[in-house]
Amino acid sequence: MRRREGILAIAVVALILFGIGWATEGAAGEKRGGTLTIVRPTDPVSLDSNLETTAPGGWVYYNIIEPLLEMDEQGRLQPKLASSWQVMSATKIRFKLRPNVKFHDGTPFNAQAVKFTIDRAFNEKPPARWASLAGPFTGAEVVDDLTVDITMKDPYGPALRSLAMVYVGIVSPTAVKKFGQDYGRNPVGTGPFKFVEWKTNTSITLERNNDYWGDKTPLDKVVFKVIPEEGARMIALRTGDADMVLLPSPAELPTLKKDPKFTVHEVVGGRIVFVGMNVPKAPLDDIRVRQALLHSVNVEAILANILEGAAVRPRGYLAPSVFGFKDMGLERLYAHDKDKALALFKQAGWTPGPDGVLQKGGQKMTLSWLASRGRYLKDAELTEAVQAQLKEVGVDARVQFLEWGAVFSQLRSATLDHHLFTLGWVTTNSDADYSLHALFHSKLPPPAGWNTNRYANPRVDALVEEARKSQDQAARARMYAEAQDILAKEPVWIPIYNTKEIMVTGSYVKGFVPHPVEYNLDLKRVWLDR
Amino acid sequence: MFLYAFRRLLLAIPVILGVTFAVMLTIELIPGDPVTLMLGEYATKESVAHVRQALGLDKPLPVRYVQYLSNLARGDLGRSIREGRPVSQELADVWPETVKLTTAALVIAVVFGVLAGVISAVWPNSFFDGVVRLLSLFGLSMPVFWTGLTLIILFSLWLQWLPVGGTGSLRHLILPAITLSLPSLAMVARMTRSSVLEVLREDYIRTARAKGVREQIVVLKHGLRNACIPIVTLLGLQVGQLLGGAVLTETVFAWPGMGRLIVRAIFARDYILLQGAILVFALAFVVINLIVDLSYAAFDPRVSRQ
Repeated sequence: MRRREGILAIAVVALILFGIGWATEGAAGEKRGGTLTIVRPTDPVSLDSNLETTAPGGWVYYNIIEPLLEMDEQGRLQPKLASSWQVMSATKIRFKLRPNVKFHDGTPFNAQAVKFTIDRAFNEKPPARWASLAGPFTGAEVVDDLTVDITMKDPYGPALRSLAMVYVGIVSPTAVKKFGQDYGRNPVGTGPFKFVEWKTNTSITLERNNDYWGDKTPLDKVVFKVIPEEGARMIALRTGDADMVLLPSPAELPTLKKDPKFTVHEVVGGRIVFVGMNVPKAPLDDIRVRQALLHSVNVEAILANILEGAAVRPRGYLAPSVFGFKDMGLERLYAHDKDKALALFKQAGWTPGPDGVLQKGGQKMTLSWLASRGRYLKDAELTEAVQAQLKEVGVDARVQFLEWGAVFSQLRSATLDHHLFTLGWVTTNSDADYSLHALFHSKLPPPAGWNTNRYANPRVDALVEEARKSQDQAARARMYAEAQDILAKEPVWIPIYNTKEIMVTGSYVKGFVPHPVEYNLDLKRVWLDR
Repeated sequence: MFLYAFRRLLLAIPVILGVTFAVMLTIELIPGDPVTLMLGEYATKESVAHVRQALGLDKPLPVRYVQYLSNLARGDLGRSIREGRPVSQELADVWPETVKLTTAALVIAVVFGVLAGVISAVWPNSFFDGVVRLLSLFGLSMPVFWTGLTLIILFSLWLQWLPVGGTGSLRHLILPAITLSLPSLAMVARMTRSSVLEVLREDYIRTARAKGVREQIVVLKHGLRNACIPIVTLLGLQVGQLLGGAVLTETVFAWPGMGRLIVRAIFARDYILLQGAILVFALAFVVINLIVDLSYAAFDPRVSRQ
């Protein structure tokens, strides 16, 4: 009797211990260790988020620094270094900080570090490169070690979303003071990975932060390598020299999707690439002409044949992951319909001449167009395709292809001599204000703002101004919905595609979830099954 | 001879002045400005003005040029506009890689080019000669990015013998060096062939053979040595091509060299970085030209007596 009880007891204890061991391993079968090699086309300029705001930087420092809160893959705000927050007034938000968090260099994370980061971003001369897009923040006040207030000059509805951008990752004051101008080559944060070394234009190495406040990441190391040539990147994936490819070749995606050795990860991203219209420039000042142009373009054909599945049809002027997004129903409102286009042109007084080109009172419809080559995926190809489609209805569009630097300087100057321009736009803080305000407010044409279309509608002005100030997120969403309805009826863009964030990995790479925001490359749950 | 060499090296000074001024002026004239490109979409007028002032870019061109020259005289190449890193450090990162690649490509081009050219000249219109001439046409015509990618597919993907790209070991150097060397190899082979053929028709060659000298010595000592001058001139020009034209090879093989650095600097209108890089190239050319000229004396004794 006693012996059997003894054996039973041992068996129970063994089972319990096994259960504990199994549960603490995390996801079933998750293996720890290994190095993840990622290849992408370019190196960043700096790993200081105040100086480098493009994806090559973000991909790396997203894993090194952390903001107070962040947007998850579903677009909801989640606590990160702040455990909670409270809107104290229209111009002040109070954050309660997570306790017992340390930077990679051992400095304790506290309200002083947050104040240091915020002041460095907004109040230094020059301020952070993203400071003006974040909003009218004035600084931070320390309330106690784990409580900090962030203040604004004016009421600002998008405040929380702005603070959730990776750029606002909290940096170690000790490290910044120690490295000074070279901090960008030695970033120090609180993230799941810490910086090891950077061989310029060759590789950046990160390793696991074993003192991380959250779940320790399974990977030992991550190496970011530079391979500028797209074909070479894909070959590196196939030979195993790389485990993950960023910005893969769209043409290879269908083959890779069918290959069990690889996994294609994709999610609808945040950038809209479009053909913009210079609204006051005749003949585009006639709304019927603009509507006719939209009916003349066959977006589906471009998506199928040029983008080859690497992007999706835009559902509006904003990406679906943006707060305030409304489906503008463009494919219903402006279906590809050549007859409708010609009817609208006719209403506006434009009829086809003997050579097929539309003409009105002896004047031909010749539109000038500014575009770059290679700034956005297939930008030149889609421009040429739309040009050909416009020709079919009698619009003679003349494209001037210039290098991006030249295009950019023309688009930022006070006068735009072209009717049309090919451009992309990403709503960086995922809040409608960022786009609808800067792009469509009548007082913000270049060089003051980004209303390159020179669009002016007093009702839209009022809506975006009001929504910018309001703290009532539901009311803001309603105002943006109305603004987008107006823009749908008075078109200023021919949206062509909404990017997809696409990464290809070996199928042994598990735990990776792509994020709609391009530079939120979350590696902390990734593990290698080999 | 040393005086001659020294005088030639002094020529480097007007070259430096001319080159730096040309680069600064060109960047100034083309549309696009480094600060707005750097700050991008998010920039307000104030931040652009701030950064411009902080970097001293708001001053007029002559002032900036003189400032640059006075810094240069003290050995300070400045800090790159885009990254804020010292230009000397940026160049120190990439220059050795470029030298490695260019030297390897040159060695391949010279060794195999001269070899093929000599054999072709000694057995003209043979099968070997035909093959060499066909392959040189191929090497001259095929674009670098095509040959590069094809070699990667062959040796990295199918055979798995060599890495896809990057730098680090001798194995990483093989494919980019071969790819870069092909056009030069082809030209050297053709030039060697025609030069040696011409020389072998000379009277003194006939005399040497009549004297009973062994054919090998005839070809190599008498023939090749006299044929060298046009080949060396070509090589001097080729080094220029290799240095400057490596950007495509560097892109395909992810080789972190000067070519990619210069292209990056141009796109960013980073004239400070660009001037530093072009300066290094200009000095390299001055030195290479000098070596080529001095080598004439080694090949042709008549030259050194002048």
